[in-house]
Amino acid sequence: METSLIPRSLGQPGLLSDIRAFLAVVRREWTIFTRYPSWIIALFIWPLIFPMMYILTARALSGPDESGLAVFIATTGATDYIGYIIVGTTVWMWQNIVLWDVGFALRNEQMRGTLESNWLSPTWRFSYLLGQTGPQIVSMAMFIGVTALEFGILFGVRLNGNPWMIGLMMLAAIPAIYGLGFAFASLVITVKEANTFVFLIRGMVMIFCGITFPVAILPAWMQSFAKWLPQTYLIHGMRAAAFSNAGVNELLPDLIPLLSFGGFWLIVGYFTFLWMERRARKTGAIGQY
Amino acid sequence: MELTTLSQPSLRTQLRALFVIARKDWKVFWRYPLNAVSNVFQPIIWITPVYFMGKAFSTDGQALGFAAYTGSGDYMSYILIGTVLTNFIMTVFWGMGYALKNDMDSGVLESNWLAPVSRLLILIGRTLTSMLTTTITSIVMLVIAGALFGFKPTGSTFAAILTAIPMLVGLYGFGFAFAGIVLLMREANTMVDVGSFLVQGFSGTNFPVRSLPYWLIPISLMLPLTYGLDAVRGLLLKTNTLLPIPVEVVILIAFMFVMLWIGAQIFYRIERRVRTLGTLGQH
Repeated sequence: METSLIPRSLGQPGLLSDIRAFLAVVRREWTIFTRYPSWIIALFIWPLIFPMMYILTARALSGPDESGLAVFIATTGATDYIGYIIVGTTVWMWQNIVLWDVGFALRNEQMRGTLESNWLSPTWRFSYLLGQTGPQIVSMAMFIGVTALEFGILFGVRLNGNPWMIGLMMLAAIPAIYGLGFAFASLVITVKEANTFVFLIRGMVMIFCGITFPVAILPAWMQSFAKWLPQTYLIHGMRAAAFSNAGVNELLPDLIPLLSFGGFWLIVGYFTFLWMERRARKTGAIGQY
Repeated sequence: MELTTLSQPSLRTQLRALFVIARKDWKVFWRYPLNAVSNVFQPIIWITPVYFMGKAFSTDGQALGFAAYTGSGDYMSYILIGTVLTNFIMTVFWGMGYALKNDMDSGVLESNWLAPVSRLLILIGRTLTSMLTTTITSIVMLVIAGALFGFKPTGSTFAAILTAIPMLVGLYGFGFAFAGIVLLMREANTMVDVGSFLVQGFSGTNFPVRSLPYWLIPISLMLPLTYGLDAVRGLLLKTNTLLPIPVEVVILIAFMFVMLWIGAQIFYRIERRVRTLGTLGQH
């Protein structure tokens, strides 16, 4: 009688099981998200108060006779400074929330002590990270919708452009924004406490990408650096789509680099994850915190 | 039978307790030096978009619209003063509540509470180190931001510091009340985040409150911080003030006494309630 020495797993991985694992993570994240009702407050308060700081400063810079506003219009070509600022600050908030939510997804599992046991299941491990993005994209869509609604009602901000083009820009930005989140999540598992890195990345977006001003106003070296950040193209394209009625052809100079950066960051994110996964198994760091 | 206690509280023991609390916080702070770096650069990062935005509103480097509200086109010095004062306001206003929350999470709050030291003194002690570190990081921040954006105070720094003192002491009252609320609710983050944004917004840390929509101005005028920020800027930058500076100083001094008394009362009432409920050690 022969005895097989090859260890056999009860798990039978396949495309179907990977999809099932992905959907299970999505469902878990959605359940957690809806269990804490404080997100409703955050959903209505944050879209309003964060841009407000910049909007009120811009209002002060305009002056009582709006003489400053005339200079702003001449510099930026934008007649609606509130809408101009909202687009920039919303993109910043989107990247910021993704860094905290997706970027810390695996770290939170590590802190809860569930990462190791999840890692042992015969599933596609990237689905743990990918599954986080589903509910995150839904909540961000709600966030952006609430932003548009609140500023439309309270400040009379009106979109002059085609909403489909705005949607197209946002869709094109998803790979870049979430790819960066994936790469970040993998690094966080290795370096553990990474708040400072979040501050660094979101700070770069805040300084270089023109969230409240046109990039053309920056010194030349800062403009060169800004070209390497996908959020620069997203903010520029979103403003053009929302307020200048830009079509696909006008948006192409923003769409092409945005999608290229998206492809780059998705690949970097995926391979960083694979590298981290191998490294963590070798060093046994997956369960440490 | 008379109850006797082994502790013999005196002014000296109280001061020693303050020193010990401050020394402990000092050690903890410098164990994470990246926090100090972050404290210096975070405010600079937040005001950089304002600097470039201001350029988009300026002609030949002069923000004339801004000058029409404040009497000074130097909007960056205006904002930098607001940023430095905000650092201190945050330290006093929220620092005590945060410190209690940290003690709750680390499980040391109950044992600290058993020490024969006044509870308000424990709260004040938790702000001493943070006041010192805030002073250090704010000076470094001001030097760096001054080099990057320009900082040109034209008035009396000494008078401005003297004016800021009653405002900060009065804020201790707010801090006591907030610490009491943290004891009761055991959650601080949302309150701090939303509260600080609103307080900063309405008191005019980044802009003159005159530029607010008219329906928001009454809220702003009800906050004593508005007068503190206004008076300090008036003294340092010679900007137009809402009221004559001596009147604003009187308001700040009155605010200091009233808030200290109200804040201490609120804290003691809530603290008594929490001890009655037995929830002091929960988090």
